[in-house]
Amino acid sequence: MRARRFGTVIGLAVLCAVLWALTPHFLTVSNLLNVVQQTSINAIVAVGMTFVIISGGIDLSVGSIVALSGVALGALLQAGQPLPVAVFAAFAVGVGCGLLNGALVSVGGLPPFIATLGMMSVARGAALVFTEGRPVSGFDEGLRSLATGSVGFIPGPVVVMIVVYVVAHLVLTRTTFGRYVYAIGGNEEATRLSGVAVRFHKTAIYGVSGLMSAVAAIVLTARLNSAQPIAGMMYELDAIAATVIGGTSLMGGEGTLAGTLVGALIMGVLRNGLNLLGVSSFLQQIVIGGVIVGAVLVDTVLKRHRV
Amino acid sequence: MRRLTLLFVFALALAPLSCNRASPAAGDKPAVALVLKTLNHPFFVDMRRGAQEAADRLGVNLQVQAAEREIDVDKQMQIVENLLQTGITVLVITPSGSREIVSALVKARDAGVPIVIVDTRLDAKAAADAGVQVQTFIGSDNYEGGKLAGEYTVNATGGKAKVGILEGIPGHETGDSRLRGFREAVAKAPGITIVASQPANWERDQGFNVFQNMLQAHPDIDTVFGASDLMALGAIEAIAAAGKTGKIRVIGFDALDDAKKAIAAGTMEASVAQFPYEMGKAAVESAVKVMAGEKLPAEIMVKLEMVTKNPRLRP
Repeated sequence: MRARRFGTVIGLAVLCAVLWALTPHFLTVSNLLNVVQQTSINAIVAVGMTFVIISGGIDLSVGSIVALSGVALGALLQAGQPLPVAVFAAFAVGVGCGLLNGALVSVGGLPPFIATLGMMSVARGAALVFTEGRPVSGFDEGLRSLATGSVGFIPGPVVVMIVVYVVAHLVLTRTTFGRYVYAIGGNEEATRLSGVAVRFHKTAIYGVSGLMSAVAAIVLTARLNSAQPIAGMMYELDAIAATVIGGTSLMGGEGTLAGTLVGALIMGVLRNGLNLLGVSSFLQQIVIGGVIVGAVLVDTVLKRHRV
Repeated sequence: MRRLTLLFVFALALAPLSCNRASPAAGDKPAVALVLKTLNHPFFVDMRRGAQEAADRLGVNLQVQAAEREIDVDKQMQIVENLLQTGITVLVITPSGSREIVSALVKARDAGVPIVIVDTRLDAKAAADAGVQVQTFIGSDNYEGGKLAGEYTVNATGGKAKVGILEGIPGHETGDSRLRGFREAVAKAPGITIVASQPANWERDQGFNVFQNMLQAHPDIDTVFGASDLMALGAIEAIAAAGKTGKIRVIGFDALDDAKKAIAAGTMEASVAQFPYEMGKAAVESAVKVMAGEKLPAEIMVKLEMVTKNPRLRP
């Protein structure tokens, strides 16, 4: 696993080297800061996705939950509520949707694909109903400073991303909950028979994913200074791509957050580089799709030939 | 071997791009960035053609970029951030969100890059709050266009009609203005009632479905106004499916090639023509004037025209 993660890092390095050779604008401090900022939202969503995929599930509802949490945040701020209240509400919405996903999967016995597909539609619809389809904006500067402010030279969204990754990494590798995530994905039945409350933990895993969507919603709303009910479309696919490029197995039971971060950075660097090179948006889609498939193909081939 | 394989994958992926390279630093020509909402809509494809024509004529290196989806403001913001890295001299943009894009324009301002807005206006308050100033706005007045369509409807129906409206994505300045113009114009004819008004999000397939549903609920609709041609064209299919071709008047907006064909074939009655090619041309010409230090008018309006087989009904 360690060797494979290393492989992804080499992939990122090669990509950077190629872009450095092709355009003088890539390897500058301000551009690299842009890349990590642009990557931060997908990277945060992908944290939750990694938890879910390691546990053997999938979460298609993340993008819609980003939208719903975002408009909850926006609406409360617009109504003049203090920032902590609005942030708490965004978390509550995100975690609530996630827990509902989890309950449908673990208690209701639905396949994760179906449960979260339903939530994807319901949460999106709820965001549209709640806002009547209109973007919510007109907040004071408090939230915005999250996107415009920085710690040292590191922009706010990146700080949030780093904190999220450190905490989530510790949870995944140093806590019993984290071990159970791997165990459930590795062999759910064996885990249950060893006395682990599988239903409870599975529900919580989807709750983590909802929480991450809420964090991403807060960063996105700060960045755009507006909450849109149509925000976050296709985020689920970007998050799944980042997770899988990062070496997490869709079969469950294995994966790392470091890998996911590198996966998200590969996607971010690729998009940024294609913009810098002036590649048309149509060609960009082909290249991105090709790299996703290529990276996972390499991974699969390596896996088959090792030991 | 692992390294080699990965290297191979990325080299393969990026190889076609090296020949496609059009980095502004490569030539001595000044670089103008044109950021469109999307390139999968004929309107913006025409705009790009007009811009390219002017760029070739005036010796400008034109960088055209767009998000994959028209409504993806975050992606558009990323594109602006990335383009600013390449040292562009003027930013020309059709905002995907009147308010949201202001955050990106702040970055252009901070980088000292002058801004030209095309097609969709900025939200005046959001721009003023953020201290963003634009060199000029180039577009046609969507409100006037909607009014034109409304007045045409009054003339064509003799002031008596039951109208269904297909709206764009709610909250977009473009659609909202068109609808406001249309509603105000038909409100002057007391015999015209708007029996239904629903969003079909600018899309053809949604125009089909929404209008099909509308016809179920209101079989007496005799006129439909689509805030864009794609939605109106979708409605035409729904009308055909209901066997009502020729019984329902369809009025669109944009005068796309498909719409002009439908007008010629008689399935569509009229469409408001904007001139995106002219907009693109004017955008690049304005950018060149900005570079020369010329002061531009606050607005440069591009003409509007009603395309129809019955020119005598034109307002």
